[in-house]
Amino acid sequence: MRNLSWKIAVALAFVFAAAQAFAHAQLEKATPPVGGTVASASEIRLEFSEDVEPRFTGLTLTGPGGASVPLGAAKVESGDQKVLIVPIAKALAAGDYTVRWHAVSVDTHHTQGTFEFTVKP
Amino acid sequence: MSSIPIRPISGALLAAGAALWLTPAYPHAVCGDRVFPATLAIDDPGVLDELTLPTVSWVPNNSDGAHEWDASFSWTKTITPALSVVIGSGPTWEHPGSYGWNPLDTEIQYQLLCVPDAEFMMKIGFDVTWAGTGTGMFAASGRQNTYSPLVDAGLGFGTLPSSLKYLRPFAVTAEFSTSAPGYDWVNGTPYVTTFNWGFTLQYSLPYFSSHVAEIDNDFLKHLIPVAEFAFQTPIHNGGAAGQSQTGYFQPGVVYIADKWQVALEAMIPMTGATGHGAGVIGSLDFYLDDIPNRIDEPIFPHGFGIAPGI
Repeated sequence: MRNLSWKIAVALAFVFAAAQAFAHAQLEKATPPVGGTVASASEIRLEFSEDVEPRFTGLTLTGPGGASVPLGAAKVESGDQKVLIVPIAKALAAGDYTVRWHAVSVDTHHTQGTFEFTVKP
Repeated sequence: MSSIPIRPISGALLAAGAALWLTPAYPHAVCGDRVFPATLAIDDPGVLDELTLPTVSWVPNNSDGAHEWDASFSWTKTITPALSVVIGSGPTWEHPGSYGWNPLDTEIQYQLLCVPDAEFMMKIGFDVTWAGTGTGMFAASGRQNTYSPLVDAGLGFGTLPSSLKYLRPFAVTAEFSTSAPGYDWVNGTPYVTTFNWGFTLQYSLPYFSSHVAEIDNDFLKHLIPVAEFAFQTPIHNGGAAGQSQTGYFQPGVVYIADKWQVALEAMIPMTGATGHGAGVIGSLDFYLDDIPNRIDEPIFPHGFGIAPGI
């Protein structure tokens, strides 16, 4: 039994020998906040659990009535590849908005999500 | 166990090449916005690279009236993005009683379906428990293989309208299989065929935090409360062997991190034949596809073109 335990430990060490901080990029925090209400918003800021690949990561924003809101070019924050920033091209009118995002982490795993926020009158 | 976006002309070739290796996998049980965690009583609906080590359970009075400890491991390896093999086994201790290593269990799984917009996924599988591979208390009982075709499915409630947004974190999963021995009778001894069925109801706080309303507490937003039900119903030779339906209700919680999860559930017998008194089961699970290592990708990442994902 003890011999078996050693074999399992060695096998696990082999499996995780090159382990680094890579995984699916899950949404940790958003600005405007998920489900939140804001007075205004000039950009969408998404903080992920992992570094994301900006060329394959982005979002769409739809407003009241399902109208698409024009956005600027997505980029990652300087010095922090976990944060995606997308400028909003014009001031948002009051109403409910939906963010649909997709992300590819640097180890190529794909994730996606949707959330809503409200701009108050 | 498994589901899983360029521009200028100068990037076109890169895009074409990348598309081949960015999208095909169903890395752990992810379909659309939904992440299905590994559950303990029934399997999750995904095909993935995963190591469960260990799963440990204890029941105070099993069907034989004995205390029972079980420990097991399970390793799932993807062959292609939608096809995987599973190997598992582990020891059992009974008191009063004895000790034994359960027969080796292997399974082949295929990711039949993932509908991202519906958060719905399904896999099929074929499991074989191999005769002659058990030891101790299981050495004599396994005189023939047991064959179990199975299907697992999962559905997230993320498509509910905004007015029901607090119900969107719910998800259900289910599993159905039959376990049939190679022969019904061997030397006058009946072997029982069972219909195995179970389902789970889950409420994902990670989903709540990223889709409905942000949760500030870093611990809470990784929890998935879950209720599992799993039953084994004899459908052939049950009467001859003196067996009747057994099953457990397993309420508990899963803590899901980026590369691993831990689950803890109570085991409450649902029939008299199952045993008496509440037990407990827990597991530690590693998402190998999220941990860079030497075995984290499908052996044939692009498949063979035989079928979707294969």
